[in-house]
Amino acid sequence: MTNVIENDLAMDRNVTSDTTNLYLAFVVDDEQYGVEVSNIKEIIGVEPITIVPQTENFLKGIINLRGDIIPVIDVRSRFRKQEIPYDTETCIVVVLHEDYILGLIVDRIIGVYNLNFNMITAPPNAKLSYANQFVKNIGRKEEGVLLLLDLEKILFV
Amino acid sequence: MADFDRESMLEMFSYEMNQLVDQLEQIIIDSESGFSMDIINEVFRIMHTIKGSAAMMLFDTIVTATHAAEDLFFYLREENPTNVNYSELTDYVLECMDFLKEEFVKVGEGVPVDGDPQAVADHINGFLMRLKDSESGGSASSATPPSSGASAANEASSAGSTASADRPFASRQYRAKLHFQEGAEMENVRAFTVVNNLKSYVSGIVSEPSDLTDEATIDIIRTEGFTMSFSTDSEYGEVYDLLNRSVYVRDIFLEEYTKESIQMEGLNGFEIFLRFDEGAQMENVRAYTVVNTLKPYADYLLHHPSDLLDENAAEVVQREGVYIDLVTSKDYDEIYDQLMQTIYLKEFTMTDKFGNDSGGSSALAEEVPVSMTPETVVTPVNTNANVDVAPNAPIPAPADGAEVAADGGSAKRSTGQAVISVNVSRLDQLLKLMGELVIVETMVTQNPDLQGLSLENFNREVRQLKKIIKDVQEAVMAMRLVSLSGTFFKMNRIVRDMCKALNKEAVLEIIGENTEVDKNIIEHIGDPIMHIVRNSLDHGLESPEARRAAGKPEKGRVILEARNAGSEVWIIIEDDGAGLNRDKILAKARNNGLLTRPESDYTDKEIFQFIFMPGFSTNEVVTTYSGRGVGMDVVNKSLEFVGGSVVVDSVPGEGSVFTMKIPLTLAIIEGMIISVAGTKYTVPILNIRDSFRPSPDDLFRDPDGNEMITVRGDHYNVVRLHEFFGLEDAGRDITEGIMMIIENGDDAICLFVDDLIGEQQVVVKSLPKFIKKIRGISGCTLLGNGEISLILDVAGFFDK
Repeated sequence: MTNVIENDLAMDRNVTSDTTNLYLAFVVDDEQYGVEVSNIKEIIGVEPITIVPQTENFLKGIINLRGDIIPVIDVRSRFRKQEIPYDTETCIVVVLHEDYILGLIVDRIIGVYNLNFNMITAPPNAKLSYANQFVKNIGRKEEGVLLLLDLEKILFV
Repeated sequence: MADFDRESMLEMFSYEMNQLVDQLEQIIIDSESGFSMDIINEVFRIMHTIKGSAAMMLFDTIVTATHAAEDLFFYLREENPTNVNYSELTDYVLECMDFLKEEFVKVGEGVPVDGDPQAVADHINGFLMRLKDSESGGSASSATPPSSGASAANEASSAGSTASADRPFASRQYRAKLHFQEGAEMENVRAFTVVNNLKSYVSGIVSEPSDLTDEATIDIIRTEGFTMSFSTDSEYGEVYDLLNRSVYVRDIFLEEYTKESIQMEGLNGFEIFLRFDEGAQMENVRAYTVVNTLKPYADYLLHHPSDLLDENAAEVVQREGVYIDLVTSKDYDEIYDQLMQTIYLKEFTMTDKFGNDSGGSSALAEEVPVSMTPETVVTPVNTNANVDVAPNAPIPAPADGAEVAADGGSAKRSTGQAVISVNVSRLDQLLKLMGELVIVETMVTQNPDLQGLSLENFNREVRQLKKIIKDVQEAVMAMRLVSLSGTFFKMNRIVRDMCKALNKEAVLEIIGENTEVDKNIIEHIGDPIMHIVRNSLDHGLESPEARRAAGKPEKGRVILEARNAGSEVWIIIEDDGAGLNRDKILAKARNNGLLTRPESDYTDKEIFQFIFMPGFSTNEVVTTYSGRGVGMDVVNKSLEFVGGSVVVDSVPGEGSVFTMKIPLTLAIIEGMIISVAGTKYTVPILNIRDSFRPSPDDLFRDPDGNEMITVRGDHYNVVRLHEFFGLEDAGRDITEGIMMIIENGDDAICLFVDDLIGEQQVVVKSLPKFIKKIRGISGCTLLGNGEISLILDVAGFFDK
């Protein structure tokens, strides 16, 4: 009897952890993007960025996050969109991917959404533009969609 | 919690053991030509320490291997044999060390420690046997034969005497178990010979199986071995030697029963004396029966007369009685009860030999068992005491080991005890906190709220605070530096092993091993150094014959040198071998399609650089050590990881020089902070020769348009940093900036920057690995206010 209950509990846990995930949603050039919360180290305002010469244009430089040196990329620039001046809403989302730490400059943060896995679908196969290769999946929420980012691609493509 | 304790103990264990093994390896290699007594003692102590610690941590395989080595060195220490083949000895000990290292790696990784120590132990034991054999031939007379006093005492023992002092046995009790080698044949006869040989040294010997003339015992001896109990006045070493001289013996287990060993194992020792009624008849057979009833319980059993089945024995037993010495796990009462069942017993004493009750030997007749009472009461107390000791027994052993460890380190006590080991992650943490402290310090002392206030006292204290923080910072950074000596000395082993395997002769010369580099770097340069040293030995050095033919000394020379060169550490590996074969390398590069320019365009250095390409080996034959084209590739990869590089130079017939240049990443450097286009950069002070405001008159251009400047009659290339890095918004006017003469080795250039800001000690940090290596930048550092400054890699401005 106890076994049965324990099994049920275990299944319950599996169900919750497997099927819904928390995503941080932010805006870049009018589109909403999402990154799984477990990949996010922290969110900070835009700090002075030290330029590193002879690097790609989207790499804005490095910042000092309490002693850690972290590269920062401008997501607009990464997606080859028009860059805009940073304002008070601009944030650096510090993400972790494997053992890489990276700051993503985004226009503004919207919030955190809990997405059930059946609300997440793969993007269309056709790679029609440069930027959509960074989108791993598309999540549906009450109003609109979240483009879920593929950090691997952002780091290495 | 228990897990945590075990974990930290394991960490400690692995750390200490690795230190010991490294130390040991060094000692062994240094003394391959001959071991002094000090060295033997040292090795013995280290082996003993390892064994003790491993036993404490329950790593049996390590115990087995070290035990064998310990035995060997014990023998060397005690017997000081003369004709030892040290080279062979070194081989075996190193084999053992390799085994240990493997096991320690397993310990470190937390996988089961399951290596098979048998081969190692067998080799060492085999060597020990051979050593003993050869010794016993040469110096049999030197091993003092045990005094004959014991046998004299034997004869002198008078009938009826019950005092233990007069017992017919000698002072030391031993039990020996022997196995004969497979195929020895006629084991019973061999065993008989062993017993016979011992007879002149021992007082009383009993073997099991007892009747060695019976051929039926052959199988038993062959499978289960053959056990002897005997007493003698000789010491353990002598006895072991005696046994060891027997031929065809495979292994010997010899145990001496002392008060301590018996208590440790929870045993009891009894001295028993029996005499039978007159007219009992067949006394020897009765005694034999008694002995036989005791045998199943006995760890050690010795009786006198020793041959009870001899026909004359009956008379002796009748006249003198039977003496029995017994070591057993049973307690007094059990043995006593057993013996009291003997019929026709006239006289019976039984003493707890190692008990504290010295007055325990009371003669009594069988009809007065009551008089036994005092003793039966006293003895169990002793027994209990023994039992109490037993569970604690493992503790004294490691404690002893620890003590020996302290002794073992005595030669290096001055340094050994001044050093503690700290987890690197803690140092990292400390460094990080330090960085934050510096930043906060600036935030506090330059707080905007303080603006415009007159703060004479405050400012004085701030200066003090800054000084202390700076001192702490320096101390923290210095903590991370580790000397290269460990890495360098490991190469001794490689040189030795390879020379043996390749039949070459070489001597490794080590220079500047005390050069310090950051802990993180050390980990990445061990492999590259090893590969280059291997390469030098395998490909570089010629065979002794070839060297002789070339008019060089037969013994090759490999120099391993470290030196500080500005912001880098250079590790130079030089050999006096044949040098690199330029044509062969070029041909191979051509075949592999590596050439991108006309062949004549390549300089020697560029051609030599091909050997660091993956899969590049000009060796036709793949040997154990090289020829697979893997090693040199690893060199490049590992060095790139730490931001270093390697160059090779070679003169045919004279040798090659490999120079590894390693940045002092994470070390402290003195830097000059400069600004260009609003960004601050740090130039290592060591690279700065001079700085000045240039005058436009001194500038000129060569036909290619390269800008040059004349400074005090010398001409230099000018590098404008903002152009080099492709930065905008920098000062264009040469008169508004600063010209710095930067040197790298013998070369120098002029670097044009916007401004000099100040000199400061900085911690070198590597750039995030997301950022690929940038020419001209070696890393970055945090300035006092938390700002990041990139550190210039001066060498990057030269090799265009």
